[in-house]
Amino acid sequence: MNLENSATQTTDTRRKPMGMLSVRVLALLFVVFLAAPAVLGEFWVEVATEILILGLFAMSFNLIYGYMGQISFGHAAFFGLGAYATAMLFREFTGGTEEISYLQFFVSLAAGIPLAAFGALLVGYFCIRLTGIYFAILTLAFGELLFFVVFSWYSFTGGDDGIQRLLPPPLFRDPVMYYYLCFVIVIAAMAVMWRIVHSPFGYLLRAMRDNQERTRFLGINTRIYMLINFVIAGSFAGLAGALWGPFTRSVAPTLLGWQESGIAVFMTLLGGSAFFAGPMVGSIIYTFLHAWVTGFTQYWPLTIGAIILIIVLFSPGGLLGAIDAWRRIRTRQGSSGVADNTLVKEEPDS
Amino acid sequence: MTDPILNVVGLNKHFGGIRVTRELNISISRGAKEAIIGPNGAGKSTLFNLLTGYHRPESGTIVFEGNDITNWATHQIAHAGISRAFQISNIFTRLTVLENVRTAVHVRMGKAGNIFASAQRIGTTETEKILKRCHLVEKSSHIAGELAQGDKKKLELAIALAGKPRLLLLDEPTAGMSFEETRETMTLVDKLNDDLGLSVLFTEHDMAVVFNHAQRVSLLHRGEIIVEGTPEEVRRDEMAQRVYLGEHH
Repeated sequence: MNLENSATQTTDTRRKPMGMLSVRVLALLFVVFLAAPAVLGEFWVEVATEILILGLFAMSFNLIYGYMGQISFGHAAFFGLGAYATAMLFREFTGGTEEISYLQFFVSLAAGIPLAAFGALLVGYFCIRLTGIYFAILTLAFGELLFFVVFSWYSFTGGDDGIQRLLPPPLFRDPVMYYYLCFVIVIAAMAVMWRIVHSPFGYLLRAMRDNQERTRFLGINTRIYMLINFVIAGSFAGLAGALWGPFTRSVAPTLLGWQESGIAVFMTLLGGSAFFAGPMVGSIIYTFLHAWVTGFTQYWPLTIGAIILIIVLFSPGGLLGAIDAWRRIRTRQGSSGVADNTLVKEEPDS
Repeated sequence: MTDPILNVVGLNKHFGGIRVTRELNISISRGAKEAIIGPNGAGKSTLFNLLTGYHRPESGTIVFEGNDITNWATHQIAHAGISRAFQISNIFTRLTVLENVRTAVHVRMGKAGNIFASAQRIGTTETEKILKRCHLVEKSSHIAGELAQGDKKKLELAIALAGKPRLLLLDEPTAGMSFEETRETMTLVDKLNDDLGLSVLFTEHDMAVVFNHAQRVSLLHRGEIIVEGTPEEVRRDEMAQRVYLGEHH
């Protein structure tokens, strides 16, 4: 018995310095995205803007999936609510003209957050009663419900016509300037998110993901904390949605639909849900491929389907998961089993 | 039985047609260290589930420190001061050992809802103290799910201690541990009881552990406490010999 135990104990279960992966990836991305417009043409600057906005959306989804361990198939509802809040205020402010002041513009953008948060509070109130597949299905049902409301309510939302002519104020009409606006906002949002996932609350989410039952025995009313996180995730999705309308100059009900929700799921799986930067990396892959592949073929769904298939089968941890595994192997070989103690303390899957 | 910290009266619980707890009475004095023994299926784990609000009894009352907690939710009972360590380790598998304990410390401090502070800066001293006490310092940066069985059980206990309970429920605290680990763990339990006056109620299959460490022993059989007394009294009891102890000696 003693022998057996000491044998298992020598197996090295110490955390390898993989926590730095997200930090390094983020630092690299920061530089690349900061400099991108200098080398990219207008088309690719717009693709980069899309990467940032959808990346923020996917990261907000991952607060629920990667950190809390529940999967939502209706997360786009909050992305869409944010987009519509902004678009409808836009419509009020411009009053048929195409002019909007800078103040009005930023007020419209900010409005996306509270509306999405309120929507998430209502939807979350019901969804957090369940976990697993039931949670997933209920989020899907609510997402489709909201989609249908927006789709049918012509007099208020414009129905399936959506809302067009969302022209930002002059400065931000330039794709490069709008790109930098998104860059600044997304970076700020990511900084707040980083703070949250490394707070006591963030670790409680991970604990609930690993073992929700045990958190109750610690003294946690799991529903309340799930709801708080659901609202936080909805708020970030709302912010992403708010940036979307002025970017594409229009909003449509499909922004709330399940296909849009699916994009967040795809991106997160592509990049790696166990990593803070995972969904953003996933957004780069997804959005870039989408822009590139649709340039020469209409078989985009087939392409992305095949890629997802490969990821799920061969690297369920996404791209960052694959890099992480590769580095683990390399570290083991390179240092012949001696762990890099200086970095052991770094955060893990974050 | 002066000043009982826990008083259970007439507890009943059925699962379908099976009565798993019948008219169960048990009283734990403040600062006591008691064991519940009994054959498999006697209802030991069910009793712990009832005490921690995981199951609701059909009838009977559970009074903890003067409060009737019979129908309280699990998290409310934890807050009231009852911590539980599980028989099969029930930990946060993808967090490190340190993060496991620190999260439990945050919950106890009422800081779990803190969204913007850095988790690393809160409750660190207390976390380290618990890790030290439970002989887990060297494993603190290991991923919990990859620990050896004995270490998982130590972590299980550490998480329960993080709640700073006044009553600690231990469900087979040494199951799966080596001889050395068992000794270490039970020494710790004794110390918690002696030094901090922590009341402990534990179940155990290892009779050596029970008779060396419990001040009082209750024998649970088919959902009822049939014998109760000091280890010596229970050991000598004829009924206890017949239904349970006989098979162990």
